[in-house]
Amino acid sequence: MNAPLTAPANPRNVVASRSLFLPLVAAGLFLLLVIIGSLIYGAGPVTPRKALAALAGTGSDEAWFVIRELRLPRTLIGLATGLALGIAGALLQAMTRNPLAEPGLLGVSAGAGFAVAVAILFGASTATLTTLIAQVGALAGCSLVIAATRVQGLGNDPVRLVLAGATLSGLLLALTSMLMLMDQRAADEIRFWITGSVAGKSLATFQATLPSLIIALTLVVVVARPLAAMALGERAAVGLGHHPGRIRFLITVTVALLVGAATALAGPLIFVGLVVPFIARAFSGPDIRKTLWLCLPIGPAVVLAADVASRLMAAPAEMPLGVVTALIGAPVLLAIVRAGRMPSL
Amino acid sequence: MHRHALTMPDSRTLVANAVLLLLVAAAVIISLSMGTVQIAPAEVIRALIGTTEDPTAAFVINELRLSRVVAGMLSGAALALAGCLMQTLARNRLATPGIIGIDNAATAFAVASVVGTGIAIAPSAMALVGAATATALAFGLAGANGTRGYRFIVAGLGIGAIAGAVTQVMLSQVAIDDANAAYPWTVGSLNARSGASVQVLALGLAASCLVTVAIVRALNTLQFSDPVAIALGTRLRRTRVVGLGLSVLLTGLAVSVCGPVGLVALLAPELARTVCRPGRIPLTAAALAGAAFMVIADLLGRTLFSPLEIPVGIITAIVGSPYLLWILLRPSTRSLT
Amino acid sequence: MSQHPPMKRRLTAAIAILGALALGPANAESRSVDTAYGAVTIDGQPQRAVTLYEGALDPALAVGANAVGAVITRGGNDVAEYIKPRAGDIAIVGAPAETNIEAVIAARPDIILAPAQTNQQQYQLLSRIAPVVVSNVPMFQADSWEQETRLFGRALGREEAAENAIEDVKARIAEVAALVERTVPEDQRDATLVRWMPQGPLVMAEGLFSATLLQAVGFEVTDNGLVSDGRPHSQPLSLENLARMDQNWVFLATLNADGQQALEAARQTPAFSRLKASGQNQVVAVNGQLWSSASGPLAAKAILDDIEAALATLAP
Repeated sequence: MNAPLTAPANPRNVVASRSLFLPLVAAGLFLLLVIIGSLIYGAGPVTPRKALAALAGTGSDEAWFVIRELRLPRTLIGLATGLALGIAGALLQAMTRNPLAEPGLLGVSAGAGFAVAVAILFGASTATLTTLIAQVGALAGCSLVIAATRVQGLGNDPVRLVLAGATLSGLLLALTSMLMLMDQRAADEIRFWITGSVAGKSLATFQATLPSLIIALTLVVVVARPLAAMALGERAAVGLGHHPGRIRFLITVTVALLVGAATALAGPLIFVGLVVPFIARAFSGPDIRKTLWLCLPIGPAVVLAADVASRLMAAPAEMPLGVVTALIGAPVLLAIVRAGRMPSL
Repeated sequence: MHRHALTMPDSRTLVANAVLLLLVAAAVIISLSMGTVQIAPAEVIRALIGTTEDPTAAFVINELRLSRVVAGMLSGAALALAGCLMQTLARNRLATPGIIGIDNAATAFAVASVVGTGIAIAPSAMALVGAATATALAFGLAGANGTRGYRFIVAGLGIGAIAGAVTQVMLSQVAIDDANAAYPWTVGSLNARSGASVQVLALGLAASCLVTVAIVRALNTLQFSDPVAIALGTRLRRTRVVGLGLSVLLTGLAVSVCGPVGLVALLAPELARTVCRPGRIPLTAAALAGAAFMVIADLLGRTLFSPLEIPVGIITAIVGSPYLLWILLRPSTRSLT
Repeated sequence: MSQHPPMKRRLTAAIAILGALALGPANAESRSVDTAYGAVTIDGQPQRAVTLYEGALDPALAVGANAVGAVITRGGNDVAEYIKPRAGDIAIVGAPAETNIEAVIAARPDIILAPAQTNQQQYQLLSRIAPVVVSNVPMFQADSWEQETRLFGRALGREEAAENAIEDVKARIAEVAALVERTVPEDQRDATLVRWMPQGPLVMAEGLFSATLLQAVGFEVTDNGLVSDGRPHSQPLSLENLARMDQNWVFLATLNADGQQALEAARQTPAFSRLKASGQNQVVAVNGQLWSSASGPLAAKAILDDIEAALATLAP
């Protein structure tokens, strides 16, 4: 690991200091590669060669259609999902000071998923589904997590928090299974929805989540500095003129907006919020603001890479994206555990 | 410490075990007398002792309900015993087979044999292989720290997630009939148990109980620190290997009967600990509580939406998760180890 | 031993009486039926049949037998809608994947009709309740439904009625085939059968019951090689491969209450609207319960009705 030596987190540091320049450019280039990969690889007959020809303007109508109408929307949706989950993970981890605090593991995604399953049961079809339902569910899940970290003793115990989240996810999953048993017709839609996928989603869904993504990113800009201050301890943050309670509230809302939007876009995807900040921290060190900057290119890159893999693994069908992110993410979880000591935040 | 204090049961534990035994008996009798076919309690008893005139009652009670209740009791007891052993060895109340991913791995291996990936070994054997693999992985990844601390558990979480994803991949790649055949394996159900698996489990459980009795004293000393345990004459390494082996065996065999019904292994020892005298490992009470829990959960699953069934794994998750959450979230000064 | 089938099932009464008259007293004798688990001896005409899959319920009702128990249809909470009026308040004895044996006992059957994939253990338990006829008909063949109707007709002591039901369907096929001949130009009879899911299409195999009927009336059904061997039912498809099912006709099965709504959802997918069939307005929304998991003479008639209705829109 070539983590650059950084000075102890100082809230008055310039955000994009020079040590961040290289990793940011490298991640940006990698993202560009993955985007191109996402446009040229698919489960269908449009091969990379044909796709490249189409991009150069000399390809067939068919190839151009597949790229414009199928691969471009899912690339955009993958970008937005990765961005949202990466940043949500980084925020949640910084606030709980727990490197394992991941929206998927902590049950925030499960909350959003359960809310959507209930909505489907009560007659909302996935086509008319609004982002709002998922965000309300995510907010409930996120508030639970925050409440749990405020319980004495639990905030300092990363594993107990993660186990509580896993238990909550398991409970919500079991309840969803019950709902599916009681209404087989809804089950068909829910089953396909809860596996997590960016295929076949329309740009309309993307547009519906755009406003909340913009609001959330604005909030991130607002809370980044106070959050970095809180890393020095609450007393230091208060000394610097911040209000920890208010910051926590803002972050809760931000994470809920981000995870709700991501879940509405792609269904519950676990481990993305763990993998992305983990990679980012390896380059940025503990400063949350640098981590957030690096999450911007890394999050989309991870989700898109997983999506490309999902198309190629089972052609002419596709593997659910959620399965691929679990296969990528779980080893990272193991790597975090394997690392000599739990990296403290 | 007096030698007998670590082996002989005390009066509180005896009473607790007696009460739990009654609970199991009550759950079994209620389970036997409830179902789609209405049979009067008196007739149930006549059928059991073989004096009934009604062949339908005899068939329903002795062949359908009794075999299912027995499968539930055995798998519940096996899971609870496995959980209790592992908690003791890891000195961590959360270290149970379900949480460290053994259930999921056993399921993944069993599904692999059911959906015909070319691996033609009986599901029971495959489940055992899966359980052993997951345990070995969890230990390997936890590194020098052994089972203590968070790494063991988080490694297990990761292993469980991978095994779950692999199961999904396999199910999505096979024909729909094969996927249907593998369905009970993925949710945890007593409906599709095979007679052979139950017999293997019965043998395994009996053998495990005998071995457990032989190491129970050593297990009790593990509640103290290693030096104290050694001073009390315990051969640590041997105890750990034997105990862990039993835990893996019991989990694998139970999963091959009922699928991944995880939380039983955590809840039953919890319940046993609250009713027994503190400071002792409540192995008997845990097994009894596990049997009762499983039978009651299956009864609920059978009757709530009759004639359709809710798999027992869903019931244990819905009943067990809130309790586990409460254990994890209550502001307590007591450590979890 | 009754000579009179239940009169309340008015629709089947005529066929059933015919069958009963033709068979006459010979019925009362016991006969041997070949099943997947060997020959099973059945006495007379069973009065209470429990059917453990849809392909048994349909023939049983079609030959006028009294069905007292059935499993729910895939994606529903009851028997399939098309057969509901005939089945009446039939007892539900489980789901296709999990039979509740106690519910079977409670239905007090004198015969049990079971699918080919019934395993040995289940078979032995069920045999303790009543004679079990496990289908030995190879699935996904063009004449699977005929053979199963004959098998179950014989098991139920209504062989004549079974032959009549099969002949009825064949006559109906001939009618619809003539209609296809008249209305659809010969080079535009290629068709594909798809189930529409929120994430995209599931292509159904050429051997599926409804697909064989489409073939029988003159359509050329293809799964475009998308359903691989050993996967008889259907295969989820990447949207990118939608262009590979560019036939003149697309039959779109959906489990949603409103097939039209699913059709709209599909139309909004750009890849779908590019299909030939979509442009020609030859995408037919059909009921997935009927088209993707039913089989038997009654299902055949209902499916043929659907095809006829779809062709009616073309009539000059």
